Amino acid sequence: MKRRIALVALLLLIAGAALALRWSPVDYAAQDRDATMAPSSAQHWTGTDELGRDRTVRVAAALLIGLAGATAAAALTTAIAGCFGVAAAFSPAWAAAVLMFLSDVFLSLPWLFLLMMARSLLPLTASPLETAVATFVVLAALGWPACARVLYRGALSLRTAEWMIQGHACGLRTRQLVRMHLLPHLRSLLLPQFLVCVPAFIVAEANLGALGLGVGEPLPSWGSMLLELDNSALLARSHWVYLPIALLVIVLLTLESFSAEGETHA
Amino acid sequence: MSWPVTIAMRAGRTLLLILCAAAGTILLVRFAPGFFSDPREMDAKYAQAAQEEIDAENGQHRSVNQIAMQEAKDFLGGGFGTSRQYRVPVAELIGARIPLSALLLARGILGGWLLAICAALPVSSLRRGGLFWGLPFTILLAIPTAAMATACILSETGGPVLVLALLIAARDFKFLRSMLEGAWRSPHLLQGRAQGLRPRALVRLHILPNVLPQLCALTTLSIVTALGALVPIEVIFTVPGVGQLAWSAVMNRDLPVLVAVSLLMACVVGCAGMLSMRAPTLEAA
Repeated sequence: MKRRIALVALLLLIAGAALALRWSPVDYAAQDRDATMAPSSAQHWTGTDELGRDRTVRVAAALLIGLAGATAAAALTTAIAGCFGVAAAFSPAWAAAVLMFLSDVFLSLPWLFLLMMARSLLPLTASPLETAVATFVVLAALGWPACARVLYRGALSLRTAEWMIQGHACGLRTRQLVRMHLLPHLRSLLLPQFLVCVPAFIVAEANLGALGLGVGEPLPSWGSMLLELDNSALLARSHWVYLPIALLVIVLLTLESFSAEGETHA
Repeated sequence: MSWPVTIAMRAGRTLLLILCAAAGTILLVRFAPGFFSDPREMDAKYAQAAQEEIDAENGQHRSVNQIAMQEAKDFLGGGFGTSRQYRVPVAELIGARIPLSALLLARGILGGWLLAICAALPVSSLRRGGLFWGLPFTILLAIPTAAMATACILSETGGPVLVLALLIAARDFKFLRSMLEGAWRSPHLLQGRAQGLRPRALVRLHILPNVLPQLCALTTLSIVTALGALVPIEVIFTVPGVGQLAWSAVMNRDLPVLVAVSLLMACVVGCAGMLSMRAPTLEAA
């Protein structure tokens, strides 16, 4: 029930954002120089930012970009973690130890510090789209170690299951065993890992953006929207500045309810 | 295996992890675009000949091996080299900032733990309404650290310690609650309740001793979470600590500072990891 309500809320938010982008006559990057830091009006429903850009359109675009990027990054990181975990589980003990040690190396530095370091060391002269792709690729590339450990343990316990041993005895190759027997059984672990990663990546992107290391302007993102809160002149003029953070919390709460349910199922 | 050997092996593994983290940092920074840019190149007072000399000077340290050797030499010398952006010994830079960050971390973690325990103990004993009482922590969990810090500044309420404490409390509450819920439902506790033991006695005599090893693991998690949050909190509140230094080093490709901060963070995470291993080891011993 809780999951269904969360799903409906999330779908409504996505549909609302898509409609706002579709029907709005202005682009997310279009600047209205006569209406900078404008309050709510018929033309700009939730006002404009310091460059005169429509806040409704920017928030809608940030929501869709954040969700799409985080979902893609979470899918990629779960796939990497799955490959890593399964490879370690079906490798000799020494190879598994090396692979798990590699994941420990990534875990030996705090996640946000590692992200910040990797993201900031990417090219300085990149287009906004490239920075968005780079940010989410970095998230995916650094998010797998914790998931890989969980999946390794799951795959290891499944490897020694009786039906796996029987499959092996029947002459099935390792690749066939993994594809036909292991992966369907690992789905109960893969899905929760994916669901946990989506909100975690959205929060990480917002934190990176607030440090100036997220998605580049003029492409809107949660991080760049949070930076607006630093502008005291803007805060004094309109309360709509708080809209992005309110929406972000709602999105994260709906996603958290999915991940909580996923954890329960796991 | 005897416990001194186990501890020595774990310490060795932690040391290896720290070295790998430092090597990874060197590789990452060495191949970053703009690593070889020197602020002096932008200075008009340097003549063409001087610029070429600067190029040649930088060219001497281009290979990863040379950089690693230099870093190792600086590390063994105890100074960690000289910061590229501040032109000050790194040890001096970090040494002045460690007490500030350590104090912030200690206060934040302590505050967070107090908040989480004070909330989780009564909530975990409830039969109904746990979801409602846990809602503030769920909402806190959904707020990015940077947003929480900005909100504190805007409302002129609290400071870096409060933000860190709230973040730790939000993360730990979830684990503490499920941990304590399991403990409350265990058969020996039900028997203790049936025998008329008071809740305070139940917590002191039965719950805390049972969840102690898990609490040690949770301490590790709290330290790692706090270290990660240190960067945005110190940057937003302009606290001159290690987190702010790390951010500035990352933005300016200051390799000696980055390697030193990475080593420091990996050391803290490694030692915190050893802390979570300690309880079962000693139990087994």
